Amino acid sequence: MFTTPRLVAIALCAALNFVAGSAVYLIKLPIYLDSIGVFLCALLLASDKRVAFVCSITAALISTFVTGLLINPFLPWFVGTDLAIALMAAFVVARGADAFRARPLRPVEFGGRVLLYGILTGIVAAIVSAPVVAYVFGGVTGSGSAFLVGMFLKTGQQLWNATLASGLIADPIDKTIQVLIGALLFRATPSDFIALVRGKPATA
Amino acid sequence: MTPNGAVAFAIIMVIAAIASGAHGLVPLYVALLLFAAIEVGQASLIALRRAALIMLPLAAFMLIVWVGVVGRGPQDIAAGLAGSRASALAYVSTVAARLFLIVCLVQLVAFRFARETPLSFVRALRVPMAVKRLVVLTLSLVETLRHSVDRAHTALLAAGIITRGLSVRNLTNGWILMQTVWLTAITTVTARVRDKWPIELTVARLDPALAGGSNPLSAGDVGWLAAAAFAGLASQIASFHAA
Repeated sequence: MFTTPRLVAIALCAALNFVAGSAVYLIKLPIYLDSIGVFLCALLLASDKRVAFVCSITAALISTFVTGLLINPFLPWFVGTDLAIALMAAFVVARGADAFRARPLRPVEFGGRVLLYGILTGIVAAIVSAPVVAYVFGGVTGSGSAFLVGMFLKTGQQLWNATLASGLIADPIDKTIQVLIGALLFRATPSDFIALVRGKPATA
Repeated sequence: MTPNGAVAFAIIMVIAAIASGAHGLVPLYVALLLFAAIEVGQASLIALRRAALIMLPLAAFMLIVWVGVVGRGPQDIAAGLAGSRASALAYVSTVAARLFLIVCLVQLVAFRFARETPLSFVRALRVPMAVKRLVVLTLSLVETLRHSVDRAHTALLAAGIITRGLSVRNLTNGWILMQTVWLTAITTVTARVRDKWPIELTVARLDPALAGGSNPLSAGDVGWLAAAAFAGLASQIASFHAA
C-alpha cells in the first residue's frame, strides 16, 4: 500500500495543507485551505477507494500534528473532523475524479459535482466538529463563524445547537471552495505523476 | 528527558486538562510550572510569552462573543435563566485557562528540545518507521513548498495576475498561486522519485538514519509521567468536589 511514490504523495499533500495557509495569507483572502491536500490525495488515488482513504487520512493526520506542533496548537483537537473529511474525500469526492479531468471541461458537471461534494463534506464536517467546538472551545474558535454562534446563543439556543447551526452554515461554503481548488489542482496534475502514484503506466 | 517521555507527559496532561473543571486546573498548572522550572529553565519565559500571544486573540474573541454578545453563560442558557455577564466571564475564564495550559505545554515541550534538529527528534521517537519516514519527508517538502510559494507569489505579482492587497483579481486568480505551487512541487518530486532517489539510494539510506529510540523512557521520564498522573488524579478529585 505505502509504495515510495505514495509516501511522497502523502507527504506532498500534508505539506500542501501546511503551506496553504501562508499562500492564502499572501493574497489576503478570508478562506482556509487546510484540507485541500486531503481532497487531492483522495483524487490522486481515486482508482482504489481503500488506498485513497488510508493515504488521505494519513496525510490529514501528519499535517494536523505538524501544524499543531509548529503553528496552531488547537488543530489536533479536530482529528475526528480529519477522519470524517478523509472518509468523504475517498468515498464521495473521489467519485468525481474522471469528471474533474474530462477534456474538454464539462462545466455543468464539474460545477455540479464540486457543489454537491462540497456541501455534503461540509455538513459531515460540521456535525463531527460541533462537539469539539462546543466543549473544548466554548463555541468560539477564532474564525468569523464564532459571531454566528453568538447570534444563535443570543436567540436562546443551547451551546451545542448554536455551534452545530453555525457549522452547518459556514462549513459547506468552506469545503465547497476547498473541493473546487482541489479539483482544479487535480485537473492540472500531469498524467505521469498520477500514474506513478497509482502504480500504473501513464495513459494520456 | 527523552522526546518519548515528553510526548507521553504532554498527552497525559492534555487529557487531564480536558476532563477537568475550573478547580481541577490548579494541580495541573502546578505540574506545568514544575516542568517549566526544572526541564526548560529560563527559556520558559519565552515559551510563556509565545503561548500568551497565541492565546490572547482567541480569549479576546471569546470575551466579545460570550460577555459582549451573548451576555450569559451556557449553564444559564441551558437552565433558561436570565444569567449575567459575570457568569459568562467565569465560563470564558475556565475555557481560556484550560486552553492556555495546553498551549503552554506544547510550547514548553518544543523549547525543551529546541537544541535538537527535527531529524534527531524524530529519530528518538518510538513510533513505526513508516511514520518517521513520512514526518521527515513532510518536513522536507514543507520547505520545498514554502520556497515555491515565495517564487510563485513574486512571479504572479510581477505578471499582474494577482495583487498584494485584497482585490477582486485575487479572488478570481488566487487559485493560480496554489496551482503554480502544486505544479512546481510535482515537477520537483517526480524528478526526485523517478531519477534522483534510485541513483542515490535515498530511501534505503533514510531508514538507518531514522533508526533509534532504543531507550524509550529514561528514569526522569518515569518521574514526570508519575507527576502528570498524580496531577491528573488530583485534578479530577478537585473537579468532582467542586461539582
